[in-house]
Amino acid sequence: MKLRILLADDHEIVRKGLRALLEKHEGWEVCGEASDGREAVEKALQLNPDVVIVDIGMPNLNGLDTTRQLLQHDPHFKVIVLTITDSDQVIREALDAGARGFVLKSDAARDLVSAVEALQNKRMFFTPRVNDLVLAGFLEKGQTVSRNEAPKLPTLTAREREITQLLAEGNSSKEVASLLNLSTKTVETHRSNIMRKLSFHSIRDLVVYAIKNNLIQIELPPPPKTPTGPTAA
Amino acid sequence: MTIRIVVVDDHPIVRQGLKTLLEGHSGWQVVGEASDGAEAVEKAKDLTPDVMVLDVTMPRMNGLEACRLLRRQSPDLEILFVTQHDSPQMMREALEAGARGYVVKSNAARDLLAAVEAVSEHRVFTALNEQQSYRQVR
Repeated sequence: MKLRILLADDHEIVRKGLRALLEKHEGWEVCGEASDGREAVEKALQLNPDVVIVDIGMPNLNGLDTTRQLLQHDPHFKVIVLTITDSDQVIREALDAGARGFVLKSDAARDLVSAVEALQNKRMFFTPRVNDLVLAGFLEKGQTVSRNEAPKLPTLTAREREITQLLAEGNSSKEVASLLNLSTKTVETHRSNIMRKLSFHSIRDLVVYAIKNNLIQIELPPPPKTPTGPTAA
Repeated sequence: MTIRIVVVDDHPIVRQGLKTLLEGHSGWQVVGEASDGAEAVEKAKDLTPDVMVLDVTMPRMNGLEACRLLRRQSPDLEILFVTQHDSPQMMREALEAGARGYVVKSNAARDLLAAVEAVSEHRVFTALNEQQSYRQVR
């Protein structure tokens, strides 16, 4: 029987690349694709794949919250997280969310097949940096791994995180309500609770929080061109 | 019409996706790949492609710098940016650097073929998410 894989990434071009890579492997098939986290959860429940590959930086519902929701529905889902960064915080959150595999997007062509193979054989797959971090955590017997960790803010619920991401992506309360099938009033209540919990006063604070906490990811443009000629005195 | 293309992106998985899409078009051929701007400049010299599909943000040498060098080195080469940056400012920089086309990565599967077709005929093709329409200028 074939191993069935669900792919979730907001870039169709990346899904095409992943599909081409995975389907070269005999006995594997990509049974579905999703372009955001919400669609990934729906498709996973519908298709019951053996492995789900999720990008962290997806709109509407990011990959970490997608992983949490999937495992809440069914703890047997096997999730590999794809990410553009392997910062301590992202690694820790991916592990906390229950991912069994962690692959850097830049290394996906090299590591993804090994990661799926590992999960197929009931093992986990992490990059060497994740292994180092886990080991460091183990050696420190559960103490904080990163010494530069920022002071923790109050924890948001899963629903509050979803709403925070959608607001930070520029949606109005009304648009969030429509996306989540809630009333605008309910979203407004969640919004007030979020702002109160985090002691924020503006949407700007919320956007910064969402970026810092990997609810949304941004790619920075290259630095401006530096003049090459001699400068005037 | 045969079009010889080089694909440049630092993520092999993105190159694979672009290649799959481009080679699905009859007569188009991906003759080479590069993972940064400096390698792109070398490949343009060695392979003399018709079109180069170029990312902006890459290590060693970014796409804009590579584009300026390519413009001088290979004046017949048409350059098409496929990038994450959905920004009019970045698009302007890309065109000023000498590119003929600009497509946002999230829409590449939709826009890439039309863009390659346009730039290979020396027409401008730009498409941002914020724009409701596309610009194709003769």
